[in-house]
Amino acid sequence: MLASGATSTPLDLNQITRIETTMAPTTKTTTATMVLSGITKRFDGVAALSDVSLDVFPGEVHALLGENGAGKSTLMNVATGNYQPDEGIINFEGDSYSTLTPKIAARLGIAIVHQHPAVLPDMTVFENLRVALPESVFADKKNAKQTARDLLRNVDLNVDLSDRVEDLSVAQSYLLEISKAFALSPKVLVLDEPTAPLDKESVDLLFSLVAKVKAAGTAIIYITHRLAEVRLLADRVTVLRDGRVRGVSTLDAVTDKELLSMIIGRELASTFPPKVNAVENDVYLTLENFSGSGFSNVNVQTRRGEILGVAGVVGNGQSDLMRTLAGLNAHTGVVSIGGTAQSKRDLIHHVAHLPANRIHEGLAMTLSVQENAAISALKKFRIGPFISARKERRSVLEQLQELEVKAPSADANVSALSGGNQQKVVMARAILSSPELVVADEPTQGVDVGARAEIYRLLREIADSGVPVVVNSSDAKELEGLCDRVIVMSRGQVVAELAGADNNETNIVTSAITATAHGESASTEADAPKRSSRFRRFLTGDYSPTLLIAAVMVVLAGYILTQNPNYLNAFNINSILMLSTALGFIAVGQTFALLIGGIDLSVGPLAGLSVVVASFFINDGSPVMSIVIGFILMLATSLIVGFINGGLMRWAGFTAIAATLVTYIAVQGVSFLLRDAPDGYINQSITSAIKFKLGPVPVAFLFLVLVVIFLERGLRNSRWGLSLRAAGSNAESARRVGVNVKKTNMLAYLASSTMVFFGAVILLAQLGVGDPAQGVSYTLSSITAVVLGGTSLLGGRGTFVGTIVGGILLIQVMNAIVFLGLTEMWQYGFQGILILIAAIVYSVIRSRQKKEA
Amino acid sequence: MTDQLQQRPVLKASRFRVSKGLVTMLVALVVLFVLSGSVAPSVFSTNVLFSWLEFGGVLAIIGLGQMLVVQQGGVDLSVPGAVSLAIVISSQVPNGQDSGLPLAIIVGLAYAIGAGLLNAFLVGFIKLNAIIATLGTNALLFGAVLMISGGIPRLSTDALRKIAGGSVSGIPNAFIFALVALALVWLLTKKTVIGRRFEMVGANAAAGNAMGLRTRTHIGLSYLWSQLLYWLAGFLLAGITAQPTAYMGIPYLLPSVAVVVLGGTSLLGGRGFPVGTFFAALFLGFLDQFVLALGVPYAARTLIQAAALALGVTIYTLNWKKMLGGVGKKQNNSPQASAVGAG
Repeated sequence: MLASGATSTPLDLNQITRIETTMAPTTKTTTATMVLSGITKRFDGVAALSDVSLDVFPGEVHALLGENGAGKSTLMNVATGNYQPDEGIINFEGDSYSTLTPKIAARLGIAIVHQHPAVLPDMTVFENLRVALPESVFADKKNAKQTARDLLRNVDLNVDLSDRVEDLSVAQSYLLEISKAFALSPKVLVLDEPTAPLDKESVDLLFSLVAKVKAAGTAIIYITHRLAEVRLLADRVTVLRDGRVRGVSTLDAVTDKELLSMIIGRELASTFPPKVNAVENDVYLTLENFSGSGFSNVNVQTRRGEILGVAGVVGNGQSDLMRTLAGLNAHTGVVSIGGTAQSKRDLIHHVAHLPANRIHEGLAMTLSVQENAAISALKKFRIGPFISARKERRSVLEQLQELEVKAPSADANVSALSGGNQQKVVMARAILSSPELVVADEPTQGVDVGARAEIYRLLREIADSGVPVVVNSSDAKELEGLCDRVIVMSRGQVVAELAGADNNETNIVTSAITATAHGESASTEADAPKRSSRFRRFLTGDYSPTLLIAAVMVVLAGYILTQNPNYLNAFNINSILMLSTALGFIAVGQTFALLIGGIDLSVGPLAGLSVVVASFFINDGSPVMSIVIGFILMLATSLIVGFINGGLMRWAGFTAIAATLVTYIAVQGVSFLLRDAPDGYINQSITSAIKFKLGPVPVAFLFLVLVVIFLERGLRNSRWGLSLRAAGSNAESARRVGVNVKKTNMLAYLASSTMVFFGAVILLAQLGVGDPAQGVSYTLSSITAVVLGGTSLLGGRGTFVGTIVGGILLIQVMNAIVFLGLTEMWQYGFQGILILIAAIVYSVIRSRQKKEA
Repeated sequence: MTDQLQQRPVLKASRFRVSKGLVTMLVALVVLFVLSGSVAPSVFSTNVLFSWLEFGGVLAIIGLGQMLVVQQGGVDLSVPGAVSLAIVISSQVPNGQDSGLPLAIIVGLAYAIGAGLLNAFLVGFIKLNAIIATLGTNALLFGAVLMISGGIPRLSTDALRKIAGGSVSGIPNAFIFALVALALVWLLTKKTVIGRRFEMVGANAAAGNAMGLRTRTHIGLSYLWSQLLYWLAGFLLAGITAQPTAYMGIPYLLPSVAVVVLGGTSLLGGRGFPVGTFFAALFLGFLDQFVLALGVPYAARTLIQAAALALGVTIYTLNWKKMLGGVGKKQNNSPQASAVGAG
């Protein structure tokens, strides 16, 4: 289908044949499914889109072409309701909208497949489908799994429904994302650079899928950088440049040359410094068969004073090349600077790296301008063992002023600076460290025009001083203006090297978007992910910790029995189960908080407070009314504390630890305020009712088991369970698939407190008195129980069943000490060893599974 | 473009900077002083002030340890076990004999280093969640506490009582130790190359990685430094209270986190504020004494602590809203150490 091999001569596309020859349905008689007209979108006053119009008809593939930053994705975000346009009208099947929301767009039948799939890594394939798709899709409950399997088969995704999405390859999660879009039988399907993460086989598959839905009458908007794909798939094409439409045409009526001329030609307001007159033989930086993760066999030589540019469509190995040059990843082949070959270690020490993601990787936003600029050169400022503040200040200020950094002061947090000035701080850091090579990844991204010119000048000055500079940019015009030599990458391989007069935007873009190379690494990946074995799935599943802990329990019980035959007598069983019930309820509450990726420190004191509250109402001789009020107040106390926890996080921006630490202390304070010493004996008949048992088993324990079974089923199957785990797994993805994360978070803390209420009722019977000092220890033991049960503290995965089993084991260990005649020391020792071994075992299982994926 | 025509900006940099946390704590302290002067002047008796500085100093030392962990995005729940163990070793090993004190110091430090390395290994290298790892270590430390003490307290030696409980011209020794600890932490984190890198890793581990710093080592070793400080606090407590018990470290866990937060260090990690932490400890200590002098019950004291903490977090959060607003899920888990961008 697609011309294979890495050969790509610019503008020579004749070998590529079209697979789809159906007529474009542009006859004016059919009506467009969606019409965007006159769309303008500004960000901070800068227009990303100006008066853009686009229409798409049923059964048509409309390609949207344009360079990086031309406005393609912005337009599609408008079309799918993620952005609100400042001007313009969206017409969908005859109805006009001034703006859409994701919800409305979904209801209308507009589906988008993002380049970065909104998948939830901790959940299974099946659960991902269920949380993202409306319930109507799985209305037939009995055949839900079959429906899901059909959806996957539809996109030829060969994974098991119970595989965790975390274990899928990039291509597989992308196919999952596509299957979600297809499941809705959308009227408009937007595919945003769909082939970027896919290998050759998946690309072929995708194309046949597109043909299929197209035949079914879906209108498809296909965003791409690659001309070859446009020729293969599209009926019509719209070209965007600088946020404006540069041309619309049926594909038959336009040549590749014409398309290219529409794509290229953006004006760049910045001026570039003059280029170097390098001496031909003065080779300085050499890459020979330089390979690493994401790219392979890069060969290039630059002369002293040259700036080397790295070009290509975003995500074709350029960033990997940059990171490897910076010594962050391992490499094979040779990189030598001035004739000296460099190891990974050398690179780390001698290369100044300007990362593309300035905010995430470039700067510490909470540190000052000076601290950020000085960090790589600190050794130079030392006098004796200490850094001289004066020396540091002098050097850094000098450099910052040299670079004309505009900042309120050198002590200001670097977050207070504009993008351009932040980038200059990164450059100041690089220059101060006296590097042997400067690797600049997207140095002008998010930088205003004025500052760009200065950054170009600075990079040129560094190169002039004899330090080689490598610049990766998605802006071809910039590379033309700034660099002396440019390599163009596609799918991890260099497809062109351009220097001198050849180094111009036309050649760069042509090489990049006409390349059809498929990377080696990408194609081997397709073979790797196999269907997982049943055993493997169980091992990495949520329930393996539960079984493991249960096995430990049985072995421990067996051992104690050999030492002390009285171990399994009715009294002991009853006491273990009773204690486990109180801890169990509270730990189930804790599980809610941990599942959503938070923590609830307040559970212990809250249990204590609830008992104290009860001790005022539920006494011997209290009237029935008073007892009822007592229980109601206990529940109310719990709900109020849960609400405060959730509220502090939702409205005051507290972290989970900070919020629940505050309530921990406050709740304890209230307990002591109500009673400064143990008092208020609990009604005997209530106590015995709570302690009522069938044989050796307390009824309360059976109730706990019922609650847990109910919750466990909900966690797996119900909306709330899926939402809870989705929000805990990845809040951003959860939001994108329609989960109300804020509400879910609040509900999780309310649920946590409600469970504590049940725990407190058991505690009430056990303590028999309102003691303000009791209950506190349940915070740590509940966390221990949850961890033993296999729930991840990072959120998104875990089970209530595991929590209960973990709780019982914990109580059993404490109890065992007595029966084995061991000292108290062992109680702690066992507990510590248990929790650490459990944590290590679980984390090893998890990391192994990640490596294999 | 016109920017270039303007004069070169002259960047300022001051010699001294005062953090928001420190200002807040100093103001709070002054307000509390004034309030005490009018409501509970008995606070200003020599005895009360002495014990304020003594216990405030101990809390400050523990808080500094907690701060080093928190600024790496972690949290250390092994404070109770670590402090209790140091107390027990300092009083049990010498068995009342002054000559046994040096051995007690060596043994105590050895345990502290062992616990610190264990946490460092678990969090820095196995990448366990900080809460789980330190919870486990805490239990092991209590195991050691009971192994050594057997649950029976012993009297501290005279020398220990003099060193920890004594005073120099009216200022409690424990407070002087706290000042020294503060000076050390401040110097090491702010004035040495390794300390500055440590702060960078705490503020943005991904950036530290991108510039080739050994982020895992820095994150892991924060637990070692903190254990050394906990040991010092425990050693002092053993001398201050003549007959220490095995569980004396327990009440220090939550205040240690509280003083870090009040001192201005974010639970999400980032820059550490040792001076702010120090004064937050003094503030909480004085709050205790104040409430005690007022004669209100323990409950009110706790409630006031909670209110102070909530207020403190709110003050800092409001200013940092911008920063916190964009933080996604995995980073948002404050207990998480470093795994930003692991996926």
